Amino acid sequence: MIDVKNLIKDFTLNKKQRKEMGDKYKDTNILRAVDDVSFECQPGRIYGLLGPNGAGKTTTLRMIATMLKPTSGSISVSGYDTVSQGQEVRSQIGFMTGQTALYDRLTPTEMVKYIADLHGMDNKAFNKRKEHLFNILDMNSFADRRIARLSTGMKQKTSIARTIIHDPQVMVFDEPTSGLDVMTSRAIIELIRSCKEDGKTVIFSTHRMGEVNQLCDDIAIIYKGKLFYNSSLDQFKSEMTKSTFEEEFIFRVGEE
Amino acid sequence: MKFLIIAKKEILDITRDKRTLLMMIGFPLLLMPVLIGTMMKITTSQAEKASEKEIKIAFIGKQYAPNLLNAFSNLDKLIILDQISIDSVQSYIQSEYLDAAININPDYESNINNNSQAKINIFYKGTDSFGTAKERIQMVLEQFEKSIIELRMNKLDLKPNIVKAYNIEFNDIASKQEKFGKLAGGWLPYVFILFGFMGAMYPALDLGSGEKERGTLETILSSPASRFDIVLGKFIVIMSAAFITAFLALAGILIGIQQISVIPPAFLTLVNEIFTVKTIALIMTLVLPVSAFFSAVLLGLSIYAKSFKEAQSIVAPLNIVIIFPAVIGTLPGIELNMITSLIPILNVSLASKDIIAGVINPIYMTEVYLSLFGFAALSLYWCVRSFNKESTIFRN
Repeated sequence: MIDVKNLIKDFTLNKKQRKEMGDKYKDTNILRAVDDVSFECQPGRIYGLLGPNGAGKTTTLRMIATMLKPTSGSISVSGYDTVSQGQEVRSQIGFMTGQTALYDRLTPTEMVKYIADLHGMDNKAFNKRKEHLFNILDMNSFADRRIARLSTGMKQKTSIARTIIHDPQVMVFDEPTSGLDVMTSRAIIELIRSCKEDGKTVIFSTHRMGEVNQLCDDIAIIYKGKLFYNSSLDQFKSEMTKSTFEEEFIFRVGEE
Repeated sequence: MKFLIIAKKEILDITRDKRTLLMMIGFPLLLMPVLIGTMMKITTSQAEKASEKEIKIAFIGKQYAPNLLNAFSNLDKLIILDQISIDSVQSYIQSEYLDAAININPDYESNINNNSQAKINIFYKGTDSFGTAKERIQMVLEQFEKSIIELRMNKLDLKPNIVKAYNIEFNDIASKQEKFGKLAGGWLPYVFILFGFMGAMYPALDLGSGEKERGTLETILSSPASRFDIVLGKFIVIMSAAFITAFLALAGILIGIQQISVIPPAFLTLVNEIFTVKTIALIMTLVLPVSAFFSAVLLGLSIYAKSFKEAQSIVAPLNIVIIFPAVIGTLPGIELNMITSLIPILNVSLASKDIIAGVINPIYMTEVYLSLFGFAALSLYWCVRSFNKESTIFRN
């Protein structure tokens, strides 16, 4: 479970950044990337964080994964506070982005073992879990080949295996399908679904409305750091006043 | 202990990187001996060529000093041309048709006979790298002059000591090791400091900015390893790479010297006497903290960079910053003292020079250690702080 309460994240801009951002930051050097955001993600459900680029999705997810510290507010992951119990939080989560994020000179087995070791898995547990994952992902034929020599699909499978090798209870996906082709995206969509079936808490960010419709149980609309909507997908659909998700999104964030 | 897991993975990763291996092992261990050997061979063969070279000298005014002309004519590998006019001498030397020219004044003989000084003009080209022509002419003239003086003194019934009031004997109490240390000890640390830096450079770029470029930074940041574990694991590997490269550069030089056939045996014996296991181990105790200093600084800068390319452009100018104090250490007159022993890199250079010369002062040496370990600790602290700074690791 993820419990986000009154989350605020400010970034301090340097001179150059202030200049680039225009008149809005003439009198201040503080950029509020996330502004008083609260939501809850439940186990066995997929929570979609919907918003355009620069809305604050990645910043929110990075705070959940303890990579960034909130300016104020709190986040609890499986009962652990992300600021004071960062290590416990990290042991609970699997974090995945659209990049395969692998080491080219390692093999899939070595890559997955590295992450397992960092999570403190013993050899017996690792071997069992690895065998299971490599079988279901059909990775055995390239398990000991250098990652640099693998196809994009093979790399994506390796990336999936390293994200879930330690069987995390909370999955954080930051735009996991961005830049991927249809076939590789499908593998990620299947992974997200299987995580839900296994009773894990899943949060994923996207700017693709189709993915939200396809996957989510709950959704939040985030725009310019603020949360504009937070409820179940069914509720959202029943409240829709526009004919498409895109139009509804624009209507909700008040940009019409 | 998660830093050990990180270090283990990084070792596996960088030992599979051909570029790092080439820089760490190939360059110092193979290239250094080849470079030294080739350089020595070229220098020796050029010197040999120069001594074997037949030189052409114009002798102008042979009628005024026939005896002197005879002295030159009797020499091997010397061609005397006595029909060249003084006007064409300079252009002939310039065009390298002639190596030198000797011009005798018409009053040569009368001056010699009257116990006066006879004027002789020598024309030569100072850019002749070995100065062969000038040297050979000088040698003949000095010998001939000596015989004239002896003759004059005999006539005057004087003993040779009359013109030599002092019998000076210089007694150099510096050992051969000390002289070697002061002369050659300067450039040796320069080589291994530079190699140590280069050895740390590629791993630091790869382990810092490389993580950002691959997108793996988020993978390790979201693992249970703490930021300190991550930095420490990476730092240990980069430092080891720097240390190994510096050690292999030193080993490469020593192996290179052993392989040179033209080297005088006495010099080789001296090198072997100086570079005992103890001396090398003592130098390496200086290389260790300086490697730590390089590694922490390079890792910190590499983490700051947005990409591998940016990291390269930040780190490249540092080569000059490193070379500068190392070069100062090779200059004569710059010695290890209370102040210089505190300046990092320069102190390694100067202390190594004194270790090689066998005259290292234990107080200065302690100061050098304190300074180097202090700087290493400070730079590591800065590196860990940078890694904890959100604005550094997520600069994009």
